[in-house]
Amino acid sequence: MSSSTREEVLRHLQTVGYLQPALHKQTHAPAPNAIDHTLWRAYTRPVHDIGGEADVPIQFEEKEEEQWELNTFATCECLAWRGVWNAEERRRRQNVDVGQTQYLGLPYYGRWLLTAARILVDKQYVTLTELINKLDEVKKRHEQNTAR
Amino acid sequence: MATGIGDPQCFKGKAGASKFKEGDRVRVKDLPDIFYTRTMTYTRGAVGTVTKLVYESPAAEDEAWDNTDNPEWFYSVVFKQKELWPEYPDLYANDTVETEFPERYLESA
Repeated sequence: MSSSTREEVLRHLQTVGYLQPALHKQTHAPAPNAIDHTLWRAYTRPVHDIGGEADVPIQFEEKEEEQWELNTFATCECLAWRGVWNAEERRRRQNVDVGQTQYLGLPYYGRWLLTAARILVDKQYVTLTELINKLDEVKKRHEQNTAR
Repeated sequence: MATGIGDPQCFKGKAGASKFKEGDRVRVKDLPDIFYTRTMTYTRGAVGTVTKLVYESPAAEDEAWDNTDNPEWFYSVVFKQKELWPEYPDLYANDTVETEFPERYLESA
């Protein structure tokens, strides 16, 4: 393991700490009687159901799709045409199964792409081992190309 | 160009008789909402008016796991904004919002 790997690992461990859902009080491993119905419903709600949640205004910005985003959309449509998922299962996985941190924290097409990979593993079209090996191969190739 | 019959048209005629009709007053049921739903929490318990029977389709709760065995009627329902948001300004008392529900979420009001 190179030191740059250790640097990335340690940076990652620090970053995931920032992503902890916060109730602004200590919430880890609560006793069952610490979770009343109100909290249970809040924790188990489908996280895409955000209508009415308090939030601050955000800036609306027009943005053209990037090529990788168009490719991601086409890939997900192909998965539908080939019967891997229907649109509702895709939305469930992209918008709810990802969990609140990823739903709010990742770019829109980032969630599409992540979910396309996820369903291929979940439904055993590829193994996670194959996916990891491919990601590793592409990452190394990219590093070589950018080093030139 | 795609020429097939897409969702939801492919479920046309498969939901049987509809329980509600245009103009009916309906209340949205607050069914348990674990795992998946498209019935927004902010509409639950509110009373609105059916404006249209929009299509027949499996509910999202079934279709999201690829179960299409039980198509049901979907209704477009219009609510007064004031019914949904207690603090909505009186100045805009005529504002409405319209959205769709599968039949299972509606009861007569």
